Amino acid sequence: MTLASLRKKLLPDGPALDIHVHPLNCFGSYRVSSPGTDAERLVATARRSGVTRMCVFSLYETTPYEPTAEQCRLANDYVLRMRDAEPEAILPFCYVTPAFPDEAVAEIERCVGGQAMAGVKLWVARRATDPGLDPIMEAAVAKDVPVLQHAWLKTTGNLPGESTPFDVADLARRHPKARIIMAHLNGVGYRGIEAVVDVPNVVVDTSGGDPESGLVEAAVRRLGPHRVVYGSDAPIRHFGVTMNKVLGAGIPDAAKRAILWENALRILKLDRREER
Amino acid sequence: MIIDVNAWTGPLPALVNVPYDAASVRASLREYGVERIFMAPLAAAWSANPHLCNANVYESADEFDDISPVPVIDPTLPTWPEELEKAAGHRAVRMIKLLPGYGGYELAVADDLLAEADQAGLVVMVQIRIDDPRRHHPLAMVPDVPAGDVVEAAMRHPNLKLVIGGASATALRDFAAQVRDLPGLYADTSQVDGVDSVKMLVNAGIGGKVLFGSHAPVFMPAASMARALIDLHDDTAVGIMEDNASGLLSV
Repeated sequence: MTLASLRKKLLPDGPALDIHVHPLNCFGSYRVSSPGTDAERLVATARRSGVTRMCVFSLYETTPYEPTAEQCRLANDYVLRMRDAEPEAILPFCYVTPAFPDEAVAEIERCVGGQAMAGVKLWVARRATDPGLDPIMEAAVAKDVPVLQHAWLKTTGNLPGESTPFDVADLARRHPKARIIMAHLNGVGYRGIEAVVDVPNVVVDTSGGDPESGLVEAAVRRLGPHRVVYGSDAPIRHFGVTMNKVLGAGIPDAAKRAILWENALRILKLDRREER
Repeated sequence: MIIDVNAWTGPLPALVNVPYDAASVRASLREYGVERIFMAPLAAAWSANPHLCNANVYESADEFDDISPVPVIDPTLPTWPEELEKAAGHRAVRMIKLLPGYGGYELAVADDLLAEADQAGLVVMVQIRIDDPRRHHPLAMVPDVPAGDVVEAAMRHPNLKLVIGGASATALRDFAAQVRDLPGLYADTSQVDGVDSVKMLVNAGIGGKVLFGSHAPVFMPAASMARALIDLHDDTAVGIMEDNASGLLSV
């Protein structure tokens, strides 16, 4: 096998949409001088691994676990400027905190309603069982966008506001009309898959943790290929490593295509959004 | 020829429905062009006597010419000198492996073993981690071995060839100067992650000391290949995937 043929084998044979990406100014070792530079460098890096489009959300440059509403607003302004630099590649998500539900709803109106952001991001300020999420979920449903909820199941202990997959299942049952992307397949693991098996409005992204053998196959087997979606968590993780969790999995090619592209289009309602 | 310096065979409790016999691991790596596999026994991690698990990799080497056994040796067992002698006398052994985290010992305890390995001309890999502690079973948690402990061992044994196995990108960036400056110290790519992470190690001046490791079957071969190949030009990639290991391990 030549290096050229090996390189080809590590790339998808069609477009790929990464549903879980952060700016370089939040994580990783690169220092960037502006949102435009951030976007250009991130997109160039992603393209080497075959990623053609990506959902990007900032957690503010200092990534505080308890962000203020103002920090969320600045984070969202940053990714809007990234989209200005790379409009074909970047689909920005709106970062909000359930600690300030009223401000969060207003921010969703500003960013999704006013700026056509593609989704809402929730991180670790409050667990998904917290009632502060409810108005956010209602706003997302009203705007017809998905919510990407961070989740992990850490033996070493979750953060106080960090959701488990069981919390995400609770959220999905409270809001059955919401489209929820549970982050970090490799963070929630086999127990996390089971937590959402019977909650059809939850899909899981393939990000989080290491490229453990067998986990993507397990998710496809238990949830079906239509409920698994490619996410890298770049720049914390490598676009190509995470891409090859899917490409290297023992699942049918049609399932790989669904995970890398088609499911994201459906969840984001991208075809319809781009006709507007 | 792609050389994998960090593959395994055998069971690990966290591995679910993943074939781990040597033939399956070998096939999974050959699918991505790996032609020489340095293979250690995974069961050694949880065995009270890791030496008993080495038979598995010796037998695998008898069956497949492209597998080099990497026996695990535990310096807290009184039989380590015999196990080391057996390794040194085997036609295909170039490297042994230490699992201080799972063996529950400090690396400093292994100084006599490291000195003997050096005398025998064996390379030693110290495995920093097997899997993410955040994902361990709650009754089976094993902290990472500090990469600095391996660096200190390399300073105490300047002639020994020592490989940091399974270190993170952050750890290797933190110790890049030592990896660059200590002639016998190397590291593998098996748990280096993050955007451009291997490229950054190259940019930090240690491209000549970095070796391709897959961590199969625990990790997916395709993913391990991507981290080592995608961001690098061919000549740099060949260095990491073949030349560095070829020189170190006399392949």
